[in-house]
Order: sequence, then structure tokens, then C-alpha cells
Amino acid sequence: MDTLILSIATLVGLYMAVNIGANDLANAMGTSVGSCAITLKEAVVISIIANALGATLAGGYVTGTISKGIIDPSLLAGDPNRLMIGMFASLLAAGLWVNLATYFALPVSTSQAIVGAVVGFGILSVGASAVTWSKIIIIVVSWITSPAVGGLLGGGLYYLIEKRMMSATDPLRASRRYAPFMIFVVFLVLILSFIFKGLKNLHLNVGFLQTFLLAIPVSMAAAVAGSWWVRRQARPECELRPGQEAFSPLDRLFAQLQVLTACYVAFAHGANDVANAVGPLAAIFSVVTTKAVALKVEVPIWMLLGGGIAVGGGLLAFGTRVMETIGKNITELTPMRGFCAQFGAATTILICSRLGLPISTTHVLVGSVVGIGIMRGMGTLDLRVLKNIGLSWLVTLPFTILLSMLLYELFVFFLL
Amino acid sequence: MRLLLSSLFYKSPFENLQKHADKVRECARLFKQAAVFHLRGESAKFEETTDQVARLESEADAIKRNIRNHLPKGILMQVDKFQFLQYVREQDKVLDEVEEALFWLSFRPRGIPAEVSQDFEDLVEAAIPPIEKLSDLVAMATVFFRAGSKEQRTRMKSLVNDIRQHEKESDILERDLKLKIFATLKDEPLMVFHLVRFVEIVGNISDHAQNAADRMRAMVAK
Repeated sequence: MDTLILSIATLVGLYMAVNIGANDLANAMGTSVGSCAITLKEAVVISIIANALGATLAGGYVTGTISKGIIDPSLLAGDPNRLMIGMFASLLAAGLWVNLATYFALPVSTSQAIVGAVVGFGILSVGASAVTWSKIIIIVVSWITSPAVGGLLGGGLYYLIEKRMMSATDPLRASRRYAPFMIFVVFLVLILSFIFKGLKNLHLNVGFLQTFLLAIPVSMAAAVAGSWWVRRQARPECELRPGQEAFSPLDRLFAQLQVLTACYVAFAHGANDVANAVGPLAAIFSVVTTKAVALKVEVPIWMLLGGGIAVGGGLLAFGTRVMETIGKNITELTPMRGFCAQFGAATTILICSRLGLPISTTHVLVGSVVGIGIMRGMGTLDLRVLKNIGLSWLVTLPFTILLSMLLYELFVFFLL
Repeated sequence: MRLLLSSLFYKSPFENLQKHADKVRECARLFKQAAVFHLRGESAKFEETTDQVARLESEADAIKRNIRNHLPKGILMQVDKFQFLQYVREQDKVLDEVEEALFWLSFRPRGIPAEVSQDFEDLVEAAIPPIEKLSDLVAMATVFFRAGSKEQRTRMKSLVNDIRQHEKESDILERDLKLKIFATLKDEPLMVFHLVRFVEIVGNISDHAQNAADRMRAMVAK
């Protein structure tokens, strides 16, 4: 019986992981492929490796996140099976919602789907009063903060680069002049993000100032080495749009920088989002093997690695078409604009998580793209789609809450 | 399956604009041929070419409608939608005038007297470059709005100036030819009417090409 439960739970966990890859990661990597900074194959390879690395190196030690701090698992200490069934229902409910959203082309937050699902089963199992509702309020706030800050930073970055660099009479000189500065800023933000966001689950406890002092010289060295390297690099023509004229020196610089941001996005995704699929699975494994409810469950490395690979697999199986379409359809997505979208999003995530503002990668990216669009950088933007995306963000919580309640009731009825 | 973030992006109308501009360019080529056939009195070939132009015109009309019908409210473009639609209108009018000029010619199969035939050819010849440059302008605009550089913008501006210059030259030819028609064909009111109206239609072709170029200039304004 235990083996059966574990196999089914693993399958559902894999289902969720694949969905995360197809929805979340495909969008995050899409801008790099779309701008021809990297090829489709490179995107898949980077995603799988960086995502699995992020999950194993930085995604472990998931402490409260198994139940997302929404319910106190000790309330279910007398009945470990209920926790197990609840986690199972949550995983399935969130997976179904993300799958549905992927089908309808809506970029939703997988973390919020899991939160909603855990709330759903929490209401039924430990009662509505035991649910930490402040988490929900935080999510509601993030619907506004994520796209707004993402849009401001993405759009602002685009405006600055367009004004300062792209309009330069001699782009080659401009690229030589600005390359060290750009590389410095990108490295600085990525190193800080890496330590504070990517590795936050390791609880390194390094101070902001210490990190800063470490990051500045490293970024400076990278700027010197990077600008030398960028000058030597030549990029073959775009795979998705053959015949497109070769990148200008400036675009080549942004394409190179985008490779970095793409790696970072995939790593951060592995570190933070793979847990959405693996966390509940670890809880189920813990209940089955120990027959008790643990307050904190350490997620085994193999599970994180498996989750990371499954997310990459999801991207490979269902995400390539998403990335390919972004690449083919959005002809206005140049390396510079793609870089602004991705780097704007990465910077937003860093700043907001430092300030303690709740943020969702997906929401920030959407905000960033729209921000650049409003600055007239993204060609034809369909603002009507924004309405649907907003609606899907609003629906995520009620839908997953209700679905996980329904599934929980069904499982309890049939299994207990 | 519809696709995620990419669904935020709407199909760029510049693709269709290029198709439309290419049809206009093709019509310009046929217009010149047809005018030569008319002068030589090869009426069968003239009619065949006029039919071809009429067919191209209706194809271009379909493209124009497609552009207009697929820019609903809520679509955010890099350029002012009003300017863009005005551009489409002017580019389409170029084609309408080409068609109109050929139809008008066809009403009098041997209507061009030898005295003005050379000037007539020159006038038609002068109407072609602005139309052809319009298609180049659209191609440049597509690249400019994708990955705009200052250099590209300067090139577009100089192309707009070229078109303006052509229009000016065509205006001068138009005026001279009218003077000549009134001076040489005093006793043939029917012929004068037919020729003067034709000259005016050809003048309109360059006017609309220039209007279109001016709209494009407004779209790349900083």
C-alpha cells in the first residue's frame, strides 16, 4: 500500500513539476530565445542544468515551505494520514490549475497555486481559524506590486539604454564605452540576487554590506574580462529568423549579457519554484516512512534533483513551442529589449525581496514586458490580453482553494 | 494550445503593410508598361495590363482591409495608430489613382497626339520612382521599429526627402505639359479635356506618395 501511495504521489509531483516547466520556465527563458540571444537548444540545456543545480544547491532545506507556513502541521499530529491526503490533494489541485492556465495561455504563479491549494485543505482539516490568512493578503498585495515595479524597472531601463546607447551615432564606440559598465551592473545584480535570493534557503547569514563588498570587486573583474571577451565574440545569424541582419555591436553585447541573465533566471527558478512540486511530495514521503507528522521535513537531494530535471523536462516537452513562438512571432524582441525585460525582472525580484515586498517571478516578467511596451519598445502589445492575465491571477486562489477542498473531501471519503 | 507570454504580443501590422506596398510597386511597373502599350496603339496588350492592375488593386484592397480590421482598441503600437492608418490610406490612394489613370486612358484608345507623346512618357516615367521608394520606406520602417538605430532613422528621413523631391519634379512636368496641351491642341476640346484630366490624375499619384511619405516622417518623429 505504501509503495502504491508513494508511486502515485511521485507521479502527481512529476505532473506538477512538468507543468511548472511548461508554464513558468518557458516564459522566463522565452525572452532570451525570442531575441536570438541563445538558441532553442541552448535554452533547454541551460534550463535543465541551471534549474537542477538551483534546486539541489539552493532549493534544499525547505523548512516551513512544505505547508508554506499556511497551516501548522502539528495540528494534524494525531492524524498523519490527513496531512498526507491533504498534501496530495494540494499537489493535484495546483497541478491541474497550472495545466489549465498553460492551456489557456495564461502566465500564472505556481507558488500562488500551491498556497491556494494548501489553504483549501487547511480550511477543511484544521479549520479556517487556523489558517494564516496574512499570507493571502500578502499575495493580493503582490498582484499590484509585482507588475508595477517590474514595469517601472523594465521600462525605465529600456528608456535609459535607448536614449543613451542605441541612439548613439557610432554604435561600435558606444558599445566599447558602455560594455564595462553594463557588465558591471549585471554582475552586481546577479551576484547579489544569487546570494540573497538564489541561496536564501541555505541561510548563509551574510550581511548586506559584506555581500556588497564582495560583489563589487568581483563585478569589476568581470567587467574588465567581459568587455575584452565581448569584443571578440561574433554571433551566428538568428536560428529562428534566418536572414535577419547580423547583430549590431551593441546588440551583440546585450545578447551576451542575456545569456547570463538567462542562466540566473533558470537557477533562481530551480532554487525557489521547484520546491512547489517537491515540498508537498517530501511531506507525503515523510508521513509514509515515519508514520508521524514532522514540523520540518528535510527534502532529500534526489527528490530536488529529480524535481529540477522534471521541470527541465516539462520545458523540453511542452515549453519549446512556447519559446519558439515567442522567437518567431515577436520580431520586435531584440537582444536589447529582451535583456531589459529579463534584467528588469531580475532586479525587481532582488530589490523587492530585500525590501520584504511579496513578489512573483511570472508577474514581474509580465509587468516588465508591458513596461517596455508602453515605452514603445515591444511592438504591438495586446492590452486586452492583460485583462485575461489579471483575471487569471485573481482566479488562481479561489480556484485552487475550492479544487483542493473538493479533492481532499473525495480522498477522505474514499480512502479514510 | 495558445501560447503564454507571446499572446501578449499582437501580430505586427507592418508585415501586411509591406505586402501592400509591394502590390503598389508592382502596379507602378505595370502602369509604365501599359502607358507604353497605349502610346504604341497596342490596345490588346494595354487592356491585358490594365486588367492585371485592376486585379492587383483588389488584392491590395483586401490587404488594406485586413490591416484596418485587425487593429482593434486595446492594441498598443510603437507608432500612433492614427498616423499609421493615415499612411495606409495614402498608400492605397496611390494605387487607386494608378488604376483610375489607366481606366481614363482606356476611354480614348488613340487619344495621345504625337506632339505631346514624349512629354506624356516623361510624366509617366516621373511618377514611378516615388511609388517604388514607398515600398523601400516601408521595408526600412519595419527594421527601424524592430531594432531602431539613429542611422536607420536618418536614412528614412533622406528617403522621405527624395520622395518630396520627386513630387516637386513631377509637379513641374505636370504644369509644363498642361501649358503645352493648351497651346498646341487649341481646336480639340475633347482631346484637351481627356489629356488634362489624365495629367492631373498622374499628378495625384505623386501627391499621394508624398502624403504617405510625410505620414511616415511623422511616425519616426522624436
